Amino acid sequence: MGMKAERMERRMTVGWALGPWREFGLGLGMLAVLAALLYRMGFFEAGRLLQGGLNLARFAREMFPPDLGILPTIGGALLETLEMALAGTLLGFLFSFPLGALGSRTLFPAAVVAAARLLMAAIRTVPSLLWAVLMVIVVGLGPLAGTLALAFYTVGYLAKLYAELFEGIDPEILEAMRGVGAKRRHLIRYVLWPESANAVLSQLLFMLEYNIRASTVLGLVGAGGIGFYMQIYLSTMAYARLTTVLLTVLFLVLAMDGLSAWIRRRYLLNP
Amino acid sequence: MTSPFLSVHEEISSAPEAAVMVEDLWFAYRPGAWILKGVSLRVPPGGFWAIMGPSGAGKTTLMRILAGLLPIPRGRVFLLGHPLHEGLPPVMRRMVGYIPQQLGLVRGLTALENVLMGALARHDGWRTALGFFPRAEIERAYALLAALGLAEKAGEKVIRLSGGERQRVAIARTLMQDPQVILADEFVSDLDLPRAAQVLARVRELARERGLTVILNLHEIQLVQEFADHVAVLKEGRIVHESAAAALSWPALRELIEAPPEPSPVPAAPPLIAVDPRA
Repeated sequence: MGMKAERMERRMTVGWALGPWREFGLGLGMLAVLAALLYRMGFFEAGRLLQGGLNLARFAREMFPPDLGILPTIGGALLETLEMALAGTLLGFLFSFPLGALGSRTLFPAAVVAAARLLMAAIRTVPSLLWAVLMVIVVGLGPLAGTLALAFYTVGYLAKLYAELFEGIDPEILEAMRGVGAKRRHLIRYVLWPESANAVLSQLLFMLEYNIRASTVLGLVGAGGIGFYMQIYLSTMAYARLTTVLLTVLFLVLAMDGLSAWIRRRYLLNP
Repeated sequence: MTSPFLSVHEEISSAPEAAVMVEDLWFAYRPGAWILKGVSLRVPPGGFWAIMGPSGAGKTTLMRILAGLLPIPRGRVFLLGHPLHEGLPPVMRRMVGYIPQQLGLVRGLTALENVLMGALARHDGWRTALGFFPRAEIERAYALLAALGLAEKAGEKVIRLSGGERQRVAIARTLMQDPQVILADEFVSDLDLPRAAQVLARVRELARERGLTVILNLHEIQLVQEFADHVAVLKEGRIVHESAAAALSWPALRELIEAPPEPSPVPAAPPLIAVDPRA
């Protein structure tokens, strides 16, 4: 094979990590797996999907127009949802930052890091709704249970994100700081915090947005907030009212997204 | 291998006549892959030394060992007469100011705050961790910044400073530490030549005023000839040349670097495995 032909061939296979045929085969394989899974779940039973579509249409007809008369009733619950999300996120944050520091290998010995990471993983294993059930058992019905559930859930995720963040800090800075005699407390105060403050706050905002969405369902298990009304309207088939609830939640989520986008723009992009 | 120097060592460790003394230093990050192959150096107090050499010669590794950041698997290193290879007491670490290649400044802190970090060796309690520094230290940090022409930038976050300004903040932080030896790892390599010359001139001036010993990794022969009083050339883990800085010409340096490497003697005894503490 001449030089030119060799170069041609190389050009033809640019951008394929495994070569075009192998990657094509891999793509086909993935489609086959998807098809098999869907088949097992009954996706290809034509009658079922058709019936589903008809059900959906009837459901949608009953959902509109939304019953706005219940707004005064659900207003308080919506506020409670917002309060739960705020309190739960901040409470979780208070524990996430130190736990994240304990879980970063650049600061603490391996045994401490392993213990901290195990705790985070254990907390993450329990889904937020299950945390809510647990907290209802522990502190009884109401928003306190929801707040604590969100706090636990937040710790599981934020601590992990923070640990990764802290480990990503330029080792040269830590080295230089250790070189001048800084102790761990100084590293946390003068390196960890200033080097990662933006990302820490950005992820905190993300968690808040997420918790607002999550807190709306906690009422399903009696842990306070708007979810209580969702549950009632759903089980009494008051779909027009359910629509109103969903619309107010949508409004709340959009408002929070807007607020956090504004905070990011205003405070985080320009350190 | 070290026995001929034994008497010298004992003399050094009782009465320091060298600021930095390196004797037959070997180092590897992975077993068998030697980065330093028997380096020996003797830097007198007040010396302004440059270490030159191609990339990968082991210059940074040598600096990090001298700064006490890496273990010493083989050989001896004395800092101000204290044996570094036997572990350095924390008090001694303060005597050595180390400026890493990327400076290691905290970008989210102001210039003044970064300089104040140099005082942590003297005040390592909880008060400083909470942000309370003695007034005298704050004034001293400010005076150091002013001496380096950065008085107006004291309140500016490092991320907003230019490369040359950051260099000077790093110097001020090191001086704040009140060291006797300054180690700087290619810390002017990001600056253009005139700016690098400016920074080095200031460093030399400040070092002379305080009687500091300075060891720098440098790439530019012009800077070495102008500012250093002594030069050592490191190549593939060994010192291949040592002379007064002015005596090393550009052609001579090129010849040294381009010369084929000598076969290296492999150490007889199985060495300890060095572990990078950051890993």
